[in-house]
Amino acid sequence: MTPERMAELVARWVRFYTRGLPTAIARRRVEEISSDLHDHIAHERARGTCDRRIAFSVISRMVRGLAADSAWRSQHAKPIAAQTSTPGQALKARKTTYRSALGVALGTAFILLLPLVAMQFTDEVVWDLADFAVAGVLLFGAGLTYVLIARKAGNVAYRVAVGVAVAAALLLLWLMGAVGVIGEEGDHVDFMYFGVLAVGIIGAVIARFRPDGMARALLATALAQGLVAVIALIAGKHQSPISSVFEIVALNGFFVALFTGSARLFRHAGRQQPPRAQGRTVRR
Amino acid sequence: MGRYLPIVVAVPRRKPGTLLPLETEILDVALSLLRSGQATFHGFGLAQAMREQSASRSLTAHGTLYKALGRLEEFGLLTSRWEDTAAAEGRPRRRLYELTRQGAHVAEQTLSGKGDKAIRRSPRVVSGTA
Repeated sequence: MTPERMAELVARWVRFYTRGLPTAIARRRVEEISSDLHDHIAHERARGTCDRRIAFSVISRMVRGLAADSAWRSQHAKPIAAQTSTPGQALKARKTTYRSALGVALGTAFILLLPLVAMQFTDEVVWDLADFAVAGVLLFGAGLTYVLIARKAGNVAYRVAVGVAVAAALLLLWLMGAVGVIGEEGDHVDFMYFGVLAVGIIGAVIARFRPDGMARALLATALAQGLVAVIALIAGKHQSPISSVFEIVALNGFFVALFTGSARLFRHAGRQQPPRAQGRTVRR
Repeated sequence: MGRYLPIVVAVPRRKPGTLLPLETEILDVALSLLRSGQATFHGFGLAQAMREQSASRSLTAHGTLYKALGRLEEFGLLTSRWEDTAAAEGRPRRRLYELTRQGAHVAEQTLSGKGDKAIRRSPRVVSGTA
């Protein structure tokens, strides 16, 4: 952990949160922090502070300022959003979002009615309140995620790609909760799948939901999914009476295929998208 | 969800035209520097001076410091310009800040207020500059 590495990390963070802002504002912030980092390291070294302490101080300043950085970005991003849409368009978009959210809520309620009705006629279906709550959160969350991301898309490929990725994530979570993917139900090895989903979510945020970046994020998710299967096999989980080698490979392969398919669709959507307007954003 | 976050986090809202404690502290330090013959200062230099003045162990965070400097510039209490490339001597050029006349006045008011009252309110900035 050298001060220079920490400074590079801070610089990356600054480049990340200034993306898409007007060039002058973004460049000023990037250069100002760069100068600050240089002065900070030089000053501490001149005082004889050890490198580890300097590195910690640099990263500490970044972490403590994250909230202010986000607030600063929102403050400067608002005028851009206001320029790109008229009040009428913004109102229409808000109404569409509320309608979509209402649709998702109704859809979720309808799906949850099915086990509720089934419970009245058969003893095979036994759901308690917690089951309904978890299922409701999962279904509504997945539906809303799809609606919020896909509504930004201008083409069908992007929408389908989002749909496949969200459906795969939902299915994975459902399997984990209901029966367990690897080993017996409740086996801690399944917690690795939270890491798989985290790769996808963090990748999507970093890519800011742009098709090419989303393709890379989904490929990384597929790789992470494959890695879980490899780790499970190395850990000997195939010796469990419930999970054979075939089951572990087939189940994880199925999700790898879904995430890879979604990545290919995102790449296809990226090719269909017209090039972005030049000069409005900072290009690096 | 964003509009519900303030309820959850309970972020204190600033009254229009008032200064936050950090902004007041920046003005105090800037005035001290001005009185010691240093009219301009840069971000890290300011953070360092603030650390020494408050006898704190840590430097002000990047995000917090530069956001506050930006606000003070918006209020018309500070001005800034880039350092000459020649003066930078190979290192990244610094953004140099300077107290405006109004900034110096507000800082002086703050300092005198400190002497008068143990508990004081942040000074109000002249409306229209915010």
